[in-house]
Amino acid sequence: MASQTKADILAGHKANEALNTQLLPQVARQSSDLSADGMRRLLDERIIAVSSEALEAGQTHYVDVPGIAPLRAAIAEYLESTAGASYEASNIIVTAGVQESRFLTIQMIGADFESIAVPSVVHPGVRKALGVRERNVVLLAADAKRGYLPSIDAIAGALEEGCRLLYLESPSRLSGGAYTEDDVSAISRLLNEYEAMAIWDQGLAPWVDGKYSSLASFEESPALVTSIGEAFPGMGLASWYIGYIAAPEAQIPPMQSQKQVMAICTSTAAQYAALEASAIVAEAHQRQLAHLSRLRSDLIALARAVNLEVVAGAAANVLALRASQDTIAKLNQAGFEVADGALFGAPGFIRLTVSAAADAALQALR
Amino acid sequence: MSKKKAEGTNLLYQLIGEARNYDDVIVMGRGDPDFDTPAHIVAAAKQAMIQHHDDFTPPEGLLALRQAIADRVKRVNNIDVDPATEVVVTNGGQEALFLMVLAVLSPGDEMIVPEPNYNTYADSLAFAGGVKVEVQTYAENDFRADPADVRAAISDKSRALLLVSPNNPAASVISPGDMKTLLDIAVEHDLMILADDIYDLFVYDDFEHLSPAALPGGKERTLTLNALSKAYSMTGWRLGWIVGPADLMARVTELKAAISGGTSVISQRAGIAALTGPQDAVEMMAAAYRRRRRLVLDALDAMGMKYGLPQGGQFVFADISFTGMDSGEVAQRILSEQHVLAYPGSAFSKDRKDYLRMTFLQPEEQLIEGLERMKVAMQNIRAGR
Repeated sequence: MASQTKADILAGHKANEALNTQLLPQVARQSSDLSADGMRRLLDERIIAVSSEALEAGQTHYVDVPGIAPLRAAIAEYLESTAGASYEASNIIVTAGVQESRFLTIQMIGADFESIAVPSVVHPGVRKALGVRERNVVLLAADAKRGYLPSIDAIAGALEEGCRLLYLESPSRLSGGAYTEDDVSAISRLLNEYEAMAIWDQGLAPWVDGKYSSLASFEESPALVTSIGEAFPGMGLASWYIGYIAAPEAQIPPMQSQKQVMAICTSTAAQYAALEASAIVAEAHQRQLAHLSRLRSDLIALARAVNLEVVAGAAANVLALRASQDTIAKLNQAGFEVADGALFGAPGFIRLTVSAAADAALQALR
Repeated sequence: MSKKKAEGTNLLYQLIGEARNYDDVIVMGRGDPDFDTPAHIVAAAKQAMIQHHDDFTPPEGLLALRQAIADRVKRVNNIDVDPATEVVVTNGGQEALFLMVLAVLSPGDEMIVPEPNYNTYADSLAFAGGVKVEVQTYAENDFRADPADVRAAISDKSRALLLVSPNNPAASVISPGDMKTLLDIAVEHDLMILADDIYDLFVYDDFEHLSPAALPGGKERTLTLNALSKAYSMTGWRLGWIVGPADLMARVTELKAAISGGTSVISQRAGIAALTGPQDAVEMMAAAYRRRRRLVLDALDAMGMKYGLPQGGQFVFADISFTGMDSGEVAQRILSEQHVLAYPGSAFSKDRKDYLRMTFLQPEEQLIEGLERMKVAMQNIRAGR
């Protein structure tokens, strides 16, 4: 006998466009896959050694909900060095990846606010997290000219209209565009003026070649900003799903309680791996960043050579281009997969993971 | 300044936090087996770090693991599922639980919950905006969920029935006869069933575990969760699953992607090794729990404490009404005075303030010592000291 209850559940699900937004792969499915959020990287032997030693020593049991203490301290230190943000270990929650960070912040901080302002062009995981439980969403206009970063005027407008919670990406997950120091300073002032709060996705910040300004690093705003991101990107841990939330003390308890409810803790193998990654990330990172920056410059030149418009961006690991359906079809025919900007809210654009394969993809358009 | 009284899950974490202050604490609270993960599973994880550390994994999990799960639920639970569309891998049983509730319940919907029950169901239901409708069970009936009581609790807002068997914390097992009746009720009233089978390998004496999804007409309305945490002593790996009909599992997959994106590929590879490798360790641990259960029950009998017979699971739910105290106070006192952590019944259900949940997940010598200390605490309470 057909179940009407199930039919009702499925009808509600089908109507929930936000929840049904497609996510991008966490790493490339194969070398010709340029759509992924993270990069495939060799895993340093020291990470393998530390993580497996921990498992062999019996670190196979539940650990503290917000994460093992030394990793929380290491993430706080990392944020200081990469984003200039000053946190204590007690401000950190280790998550099972950046999507869990998005979900916990959007749903738990969001529960205290009537609405949340979100860029009209944003990582699809944001829409997905918003789709789990109904939220009143205010869209912040974002266009290609500004690297898909909502303007200060757009942000001020949302605050003026009464919205008191912002969700912002810097760098943008589509273009890699990052707010300037002046922009961030202005956002910080606005937060204070309107007594508003912000969730600040700075996951791509380590890939900015040059000065990066984090909203969490501004003197006026640490108590108003919760930062999220991947833990130690580029260290080969993308498929281990490990991320962070760095939040003001008052924001930690509700998110920690919810983390307990939905996962108890994050995998110990991943946490010990990340702990070792924290110790060696500095030595690997500059080399990777320089390599990606060179590759990206070459890709930009190549894109222009094939008459593709480049969206301004600062993060070295992604490149956004204006691309017609015909161009996307040609790339697909050549065996390459790219991230469709439509998933971010920007149809007519694509995002490529910066890699040698991206060079081959653009060559295929010649 | 008066300290706000912790309740539910927060109360448990407050006690866990305090327990850390005692070097000689004996933990009989948390459901974390004392055994480490079997060596061949750890070895598989190490190999995965070398060979598969950056493999792509979809939100629903690696197909090889989903196949191993499908084989396992067929072998153990007699549930037929297609690994391609009817299995989702999760961050432990806890995420599976959260996803099951979110998948089925919308704001205002009622879920019928035999009480006492695992506290996180109430937390997850609260997140979903659902309403818990309690069906009480009693120690004198070994915490049997009476189908007649379930039927009486149904309203026009009822949408789901929660069946945790063996139950946590009461350790009761739903008999095959009752399970069939409960499924009939669910079909008659068009309820979805959320089945929690996490303790299915730990059933004692002549009791028998039956999954509702194994019954005719059960699978299409049932989501069933399980995890490797308890059976393989893999609590820290965070690896569980949900199986169910393809249409509902499509929703579960989208929710899983929204909540955490995916599951660590290393834990998944370890999970494949656990499910497809030698099972001696599982049998060894199950035998140990059988011995320890007997040991705990004998000690409680010697103390004159009543309990519902633990038919399954890894704990006993003991009656402390003779103390005249709230279980939170008793748990606090046992912890402070004797350095033994047991969980207060009030954390699982507001109506179980006169129960303690004690696990038998400690080495036997520790368990004996813990029970000795508890005996002293109970004697002190009885003597009004």
